[in-house]
Order: sequence, then structure tokens, then C-alpha cells
Amino acid sequence: MSGLSTDKMDGNGWADAGSAPRTRILLIEDDQETAAEIVGEFTDCGYDVTHRANGIDGLSTARDNEFNVIILDRMLPGMDGLSVLETLRRDNRRTPVLVLSALGDVDERVRGLKAGGDDYLTKPFAAIELTARVEALLRRPATTRETVLRVGPLELDLISRAVRRATRKVELLPREFKLLEYMMRRPGQVLTRAMLLEDVWNYRFLAETNLVDVHIGKLRKKIDGPGETSMIHSIRGSGFMLMAPPPQGEKG
Amino acid sequence: MPVPDYLRTPTFRLTALFSVLFACSTLILFLFIYWQTAIVETQRIDSALVRDTGVVAKGSRADVLRAVENRVTPDFLPITYAALFDADGRHIAGNIATLPAGVPIDGQAHPALINGEMNDRPTTPVDHVVIRRLANGEILAVARSIDSLDNLERVVTRALEAGVFPAVLLSLAAGAIVGRRVQRQVQIVHQTAERIMLGDFQERLPVRGTGDDFDRLADSVNRMLDEIVRLLDEVKSTGENIAHDLRTPLTRVRTRLERARTSAATIEELRDMIDRAIDGLDQTLRIITALLRISEIESGLRHAGFTTISLNTVVREIGDLYEPLAEERELRLVVLPGPTDYTTLGDRDLLSEALANLVDNAIKFTPPGGYVRLQLEGPDRAPVIRVVDSGPGIPPDERELVLKRFYRSDRSRHVDGSGLGLSLVAAIAKLHGFALAIGDNQPGCRVELHCGNNTPSRRSGRGA
Repeated sequence: MSGLSTDKMDGNGWADAGSAPRTRILLIEDDQETAAEIVGEFTDCGYDVTHRANGIDGLSTARDNEFNVIILDRMLPGMDGLSVLETLRRDNRRTPVLVLSALGDVDERVRGLKAGGDDYLTKPFAAIELTARVEALLRRPATTRETVLRVGPLELDLISRAVRRATRKVELLPREFKLLEYMMRRPGQVLTRAMLLEDVWNYRFLAETNLVDVHIGKLRKKIDGPGETSMIHSIRGSGFMLMAPPPQGEKG
Repeated sequence: MPVPDYLRTPTFRLTALFSVLFACSTLILFLFIYWQTAIVETQRIDSALVRDTGVVAKGSRADVLRAVENRVTPDFLPITYAALFDADGRHIAGNIATLPAGVPIDGQAHPALINGEMNDRPTTPVDHVVIRRLANGEILAVARSIDSLDNLERVVTRALEAGVFPAVLLSLAAGAIVGRRVQRQVQIVHQTAERIMLGDFQERLPVRGTGDDFDRLADSVNRMLDEIVRLLDEVKSTGENIAHDLRTPLTRVRTRLERARTSAATIEELRDMIDRAIDGLDQTLRIITALLRISEIESGLRHAGFTTISLNTVVREIGDLYEPLAEERELRLVVLPGPTDYTTLGDRDLLSEALANLVDNAIKFTPPGGYVRLQLEGPDRAPVIRVVDSGPGIPPDERELVLKRFYRSDRSRHVDGSGLGLSLVAAIAKLHGFALAIGDNQPGCRVELHCGNNTPSRRSGRGA
């Protein structure tokens, strides 16, 4: 287990742990086909998904029940997605909201985030991109007072900027440090290339080449030394994950 | 009688209006001249009369009588009318029968009607007369007709007739001719426009080479038509290119899936093949996303994201982002983030994306062992971002083409990519008012982004 505590609001525990009570997701989406796919995807992952097909129903459902995360389409019949979001936030509902939109405009994105959205995803998207982002919202790292992040044998000191794996000191460039810090705050989570570019580098575009892979490759070479169990894993077709090695490997 | 079309043209109407104005102003001018001349002439006559009377009065009675009889002063000045009356106003001599009524005997000139019996012009309209009392009490009257003013009036009227009316007629005729010519040219433009609207896009307005307004207008319209035709062609070829570029990966996906169904022996194999199919679909999705982004940027609705940004930071960050990639391709990435602080008004995300695309391209096309240089320099108000590499470069005849959507040099067909990178850069540059130039690095390619045209290039203090 990492040394991080989960967000109080998401006190239901790890989503993928499968333990009761199950993580509840509200999906407000009018397109039946997209909705069916999303519901299927999250149900497969073990989430409890409630679906509403218009803004008014969606809003009342969100008001009457507790959800861990809300996936909200931007364009909805009855009541616009942003209005639903604004109403929720006015009611002091702090449930994390991921806004889905067919509009890729940055202005749209900014508007979505300003209205109180926590993340923004443009259609069409890969299913893994959505699940990775929802998981990230569910496990948003707490603003911890701890100055040392730990994942398994890996230790990152935010003050002295020293990184070590067990007893071995790891020398990192500033950009590598930033990347590792981000990953160590989200152990066991799938981090897509888009998420990494957005959150670590603050870029909202996808490079054509395997840019992120190269950065991860460099970092991995330093983290996973020869003979050590790999901690940075590539998830085919989606992204990367930092995981503590199974206990029998090394000692943290 | 129907009015000919050319008389209805604005040109002719304008000419007609000006002719009327011209006639009016000339008339006023002539009246003014006449009026002024009349005043001067009258004054001249009056002062002569006063002077003549004075000369006559100074002589002896015999001299006065002689002058009155002969109508010549002792100084031999001719007088039209002269008469001598006794103190009671009775006629003694001269060609004025009676003293004009109502004229004071004060030696000054006054208008009056002289109808003397010896008057050889019985209908003299107005004369000016000076009446004065002589030393012996007798009354001397000297008068002169002012028919020279009649002459003046006649001259003025004749000048008006001879000068103004032909001038007005001439200008009206000129207006009609010019109007007719303009109307004919408008007719030509109409007909050409009609033909173009019917689909003949090669049609152009005639330019007669006179360099007049019509030529300039025709030239602008023709250039606009050229641009429209170019855009139409581009849309057409873009459509074809999209179809082609999407078909290739989609066909590949189809083949992979088909093969997976028939030949996969294990679940693992099937998964692997499906993964590769997904890669192909991702590629098509990337192309579509890039296309949408370009149209989004080109629609110019993104100025909202403009803030004052530091070009140095943008360059440094992109350099940092791409350094590992360059290293992996065994290339040296040299980042020179500028001698001074450059700021510009822009969208940090978009500018970074443009730079990323340029560096990405440079890295993609430069063979191992070479270098890529990302450089920011130039005068304070006109910074230039340069991406230079030691790769094969772009032949001069292809430099325009590479900015077009989907254009890919034959040499680069094997390299992955949507073929939209440079069009995206061009669109971003255009949105920012930056000029994008592709040049030769001898050897290699040199792409320059001139960030100077963009307005508020305020310089922020170092470290501030």
C-alpha cells in the first residue's frame, strides 16, 4: 500500500478492490449507444452505474443520491450539461464531475472546468481513456502534508528532491522527478499518455510520435535497475502504471 | 420617348448636377461683376459731372452760355445735356427744357429723368444731373445719360449666352458619353459574373491595361476569383486525400481483423492481432482529430485563449519535452531559448503544439548522428523561432506544398504521421498573425516562425 490516504469524499475505498460498498457512478448522457458502451465498460470494472438520458432527470438523481463520480455529457436535452453542473455546485455538491463533449475547443474546455468540472474529455475517446480518468478522479490524491512519497521500495522526498529505491540512490533530471512524483501520487492507476501530457507537462495535445513512451522509458531505466522487479508497467493500448512489486521481491 | 440607359447612370446624373451648379455659379459671378462694374461706372460718371459743372461754373457768364450752347466746357470736355436757368428756374438756354423736379440744387450728382424739348433722345430712361447755383443767382444744370450701363448689361448677357450655355451643353454631353462607357463596362461585369455563377470558374473580368479604377476593381475581383478557385481545388483535393488517407489504415485494420478471425489459434494471438487493429483505428482517429483541430483553429474562434506569454519559456519547455526523444534517435537537440526575454500575445497551448510539431518533424526526418536546433532570436519586437535540422531538407518546389493538408513528400511516405502536422502549424501561425517560412539549411531544413507581426510584443523585465 502506498503511504497516501484516499480522499475523504471517496471514502468508499479503492474502486478496483471490488469490496462493498461498490463505487457508484452517475452517467448523464443522451446518446443511447455511447451510454450503453460506457455503462458496459464500468459495469465490467465492477462499478455500480446509474444512467440518466437527460439533464433534468440527471440533476434530480444527482441531488437525491450520493455518487462517487458523475460523468456528464455537455449537450443534453432538457437541460444543458453545464447548467446541471453549475446547479450541482451551487447546491454545494462536491462530487467529482467529468465532462464529456463533442466539442474540442479549448474555450469549451475552459468553460467546462470553470463551471465546476474536474476533468474534460472530448468525444470520440478510447474506453480506457475514460476509465483511467474516472479512476483518477475517484482516487484524487489528498493534499497530504507528508513530504515523502512512498510506493513499495521507492521513496521520493519532495523537500530534498532525493529519490531512492530501497537503498539505491536514484539520480533524476528535474523533468523525470516531476513525472515520477505524479506517478507516485497515483500508484496502481492507469495513466494514459494524454493524462501525463496534460498533468505533468500541461499540454493539451497529443504528439504524433511516442514522446511520452520515451520519457517513461528513460525514467524506467533509472527506477528499475538491473535485477530489480519492474515497477513501471506499460498497459498495452492505453498507458502506464506505477506499481509496488509483490512483497516477496524486495523489502521497502 | 424612353430615356436611354446611359442617361440614368450615376455618372450622367452627377454630370447633370454639376452642370446646373456650374451654370448657377457662373450666373452669380456674372451678376456680381455687372453689379460691381455698374457701381464703379456710375461713380465715374457722377464725379465727371460734378467736375464738369465746376469747370463751367468757374467761367464768366459768356463762357457759361457758350458752354451750355455748345455742350463743351471751357476745358473742351463734352457734355450731353446742359442748360442755364434764371434764379426762378425759367429756362434761359441749353437743351434741358425744365429743371428736373425734386432734385436739390447742391452741386452733387442725382439721378433724374431729363425730358427736355430739345432732347434728341426723348425716351432717355435715367440720367444723372448736377444742378448748382452760379454766383449771379442763375442755375446751371449739367446732365449725362448713363446708357453706357445698358451697353454693359448687353455685354454681360451676350457673354453668358456665348460662354455658359455651350459649357453646360458640353459637360452634359461628356457626362452622357462617360456614363455610357461606365454602363457598358458594368454590363460586361454583369455578364461575366453571370457566367461564373453558372459554373464557368475560369472566366475572368477583362482588364484593359489602362490602370483606371475599373481595371483595379477588375483586378481585385479576378484575384478574389483565383483564391476562390484555389480554395475549391483544395477542398476537392482535401476530400480526396482524406478518403485516401483514411482508406489505407482502415483497409489494414480490416485485413488484420479478417486474418485474426481465420488464423488466430490462441486467445493470445487473437488479442495481439486485435491490438494491432486497434492501433490502426487509433491512427485514423488521430487523422480525424487533427483535421477537426485544424478547422477549429482556422475558424479563428480561439483568440479567447490569448494571453501574454513568454516565448522563451515555450521554447525551453518544448526543448525539454523533446530532448529524450532526440537522444533516443541519436540526434543532438540544441535549444537556444533566446538572448533576451520575448513576450507575445498568444495561446500557449497552441504555440507549444506548433513548435512540438516542427521539432517532431525535424526529429522524424533527420538521420541518426545529425542535429536539430530549436532557436529563438532576433530583434526585440520581431523574434524568430527557428527549427533547423541536418536532415534531407525540403526541395524548393515542395516548400509551398508541404503546408497543404495531407501533402507528403514521396520520400516521407514510409514515415508515420497524419501528414497534417505542418498544416496545423500553418493554421496556428495564421491565427497568431505569425509568418511561417520554410527554407534551406544547406543541408537540411529550416522552418521559421516570425513572431513579429503580432501586436503587443511588450518586453518584460528580466527576472520580473
